[in-house]
Amino acid sequence: MNLVWKLLRQHISKPQLAGFFFANLLGMLIVLLSLQFYNDVVPVFTQGDSFIKKEFLIVSKRISVAHSFSSSATAFKEDEIEEMKEQRFTKSVGQFCSSQYHVDASMGMAGAPSLRTELFFESVPDDFVDTDLSQWHFDPEKAVIPIILPKNYLTIYNFGFAQSRALPKLSEGVIGAIDLMIRIRGNGKEDYYKGKVIGFSTRLNTILVPEAFLKWSNAEYAPDADTAPSRLIVEVKNPTDDAIATYFKKKNYETDDDKLDAGKTTFFLKMVSGIIMSVGLLISALSFYILMLSIYLLVEKNTHKLENLLLIGYTPQRVSFPYQALTVGMNALVLLLSLLLLFWIRSYYMDMLYQIFPQMTEGSMWPAYLLGGMLFLGVSVINVWAVRQKVIAIWYRKGVRL
Amino acid sequence: MENITLKNVLPEVFASRNDIQSEIWHKEVLLEKGKVYLVEANSGTGKSSLCSYIAGYRRDYQGIIDFDGKNICNLRIADWARLRRESLSILFQELRLFPELTAYENVSIKNGLTHFKSKKEILAWFEALGIADKVDAKVGLMSFGQQQRVAMIRALVQPFDFLLADEPISHLDERNSAVMAELMLEEARRQGAGIIVTSIGKHMDLNYDKVFKL
Repeated sequence: MNLVWKLLRQHISKPQLAGFFFANLLGMLIVLLSLQFYNDVVPVFTQGDSFIKKEFLIVSKRISVAHSFSSSATAFKEDEIEEMKEQRFTKSVGQFCSSQYHVDASMGMAGAPSLRTELFFESVPDDFVDTDLSQWHFDPEKAVIPIILPKNYLTIYNFGFAQSRALPKLSEGVIGAIDLMIRIRGNGKEDYYKGKVIGFSTRLNTILVPEAFLKWSNAEYAPDADTAPSRLIVEVKNPTDDAIATYFKKKNYETDDDKLDAGKTTFFLKMVSGIIMSVGLLISALSFYILMLSIYLLVEKNTHKLENLLLIGYTPQRVSFPYQALTVGMNALVLLLSLLLLFWIRSYYMDMLYQIFPQMTEGSMWPAYLLGGMLFLGVSVINVWAVRQKVIAIWYRKGVRL
Repeated sequence: MENITLKNVLPEVFASRNDIQSEIWHKEVLLEKGKVYLVEANSGTGKSSLCSYIAGYRRDYQGIIDFDGKNICNLRIADWARLRRESLSILFQELRLFPELTAYENVSIKNGLTHFKSKKEILAWFEALGIADKVDAKVGLMSFGQQQRVAMIRALVQPFDFLLADEPISHLDERNSAVMAELMLEEARRQGAGIIVTSIGKHMDLNYDKVFKL
C-alpha cells in the first residue's frame, strides 16, 4: 500500500485540505458548543421547585389605585373562577385561602434575642403541593403546624438581618430543626402552636400551611370572615402557551410567577441555539463541500495513475482506500479536536455559570458526543461512498473512450 | 483460463466499411492456452483496439469475445480485477508505467498484488535485460527502450494463462529483443501460458504456432 500511497498522494493540495480542516473544525465546534451550552444553561431556567408542581401559575388581580382601598375588588368571584376553569389552557384551578385571624410567630435561639413577627397564613389545595403528604398534615391534638416558607425570607434573614446584627446564618436544614412558637388570636380565643418549617419554596411568595388546618383554624378563630380568594393557583397544560398571556392581559390579571418568563427565556435560548447550530451546520456543510471538491480534483488529476493501477489488477476498493482513509482520518481528527476545544471552552463558561448560579445542575455531555459522533459517521460514510463512486466512474469511462 | 474466442468481432468504427480483409475481424478465432500467436498488423487496422478489447478496458466493438465460453461483457469489476491479477498479463504498447516511481518500484507495485516473484528473481531479470544499473532510477528519466524492458518485467511478475504483448520490442535492438523473447517464453512455458504478440513490421523471433494478419 505504501507504493500506491506514494503514487496517489501526488497532487494533494495541502492548502485545500487545511481549508477544509479548519472550516470543518469551526463548524463542528459551533454545532457542538451551541448544543452543549443549551444543555448546560437550560436547567437554570427550568429548574423546578421541589414543593410546587411544575406547570402551575399563581394568578392575582392587578392592583390599581382604585383597588387599594377595597379588599373585595382584588378577590376572585365565583364566576371568574368558573371562567378560568373553562379556559382551554387550564387543567385545574385551586384557590388560595388566607387566614382571617391574627398570627404571630417567635423564634427563640439560645443566647440570641428572640425574633418575633406578625404573620399570616395561606393555603392551596393539597394536590398542588408536591411534598410528602405525611408531613403535610395538621393534627389538632399535637398542635404542630407544618409550614413552607418562601426562600426569599431565608435570604433576607441571612444576608440582610443576620449580617447586620452579627447573628449566625441559617441553612434550610437548621431552620427545619427549629420550632417556631406560633400564637393565634381571634374570636376571643388565644392559643399557642408549634410551627415546623418543612421546606422553602422559590416559587410561592407566601407562608403556606395545609388547607385542612387553615379551614379548621378559620372556622375556629374567625368564623364570620369572608374567605373569597385573592389569588388562584392554576395548573396549565403548557406554561409557554401564548393564550395564557393574552387571556391574563384581557382580564387584567397578573401572575407573580416567573414560569411564563422562564418559558419565554427557554424559547429564546432554544431559538438562539438553533440559529447558531444552523450556522455551524452550514459551515460544516460548506467545508464538506470543499473536501469533496478537493478530493474530486485530486482523483481527476490522478485519473491516469488510478486507471493504470486498475489495469494492472488493482481493485477500485484498493485504490479508493488511500483517499477514503485520508478523509475519514481528517474527519476523526476534526471530531477529536472539536471535543477537546469543547471541553476547554465549557470548563471556562461553567466556572462563570457556577459563580452566577451556584445551585445549578450540570447538563449532560452525551447529546454533544452523540451529535458529534453522528456528524462524523454521516460525513465519513458519504466521503467513503463518494470516493468509491468517483473511482468506479474512471473504470466505466474507459469503456467508451476510443 | 483455457482459451479466448473471438466471434465476429469488429470495432464499431469499422462497422460501415465493406473492404475489411482480416484474419481476425469478422472471423471466428480461437486462442488457446500454451500456444504462441503473432498478430501482424499495418497501422490503422485496429491492433491497439484488439488489445484493449481483450484487456477489458474498451467495449466499442460488435460481436462476442469469450473467455472459456463466457462473454466478457458480462464480467463484473471484481472479475476483471481478478483476471488481470491472476490470468491475463498485459504489456501495453504505451507501457503504462508510473514515471514518478523507480524501475524497481514499478515492478514491485504489481508484484505486491500477488507476491508472485522474489526480489532476487526480479533483479535477475533486470540484470538479464541489461538495466541492472537502472533499478533505482525514476522511470520517467529512462529511455523508451529501457522502459519497455521494465514493462516486460512487470508483465512477468504475476501468474497468467495468457500474456498479451502489444508491440513489445518496437524500441529494442536485436540482442535485447532476443533476450526479452527468451525471458518471456521461458516464463510462459513455466506457467503453461499462451502468448499473444502483436507487431507492426518488426516482430519477435519466436516459434509461433499461428500468425494472424489483422
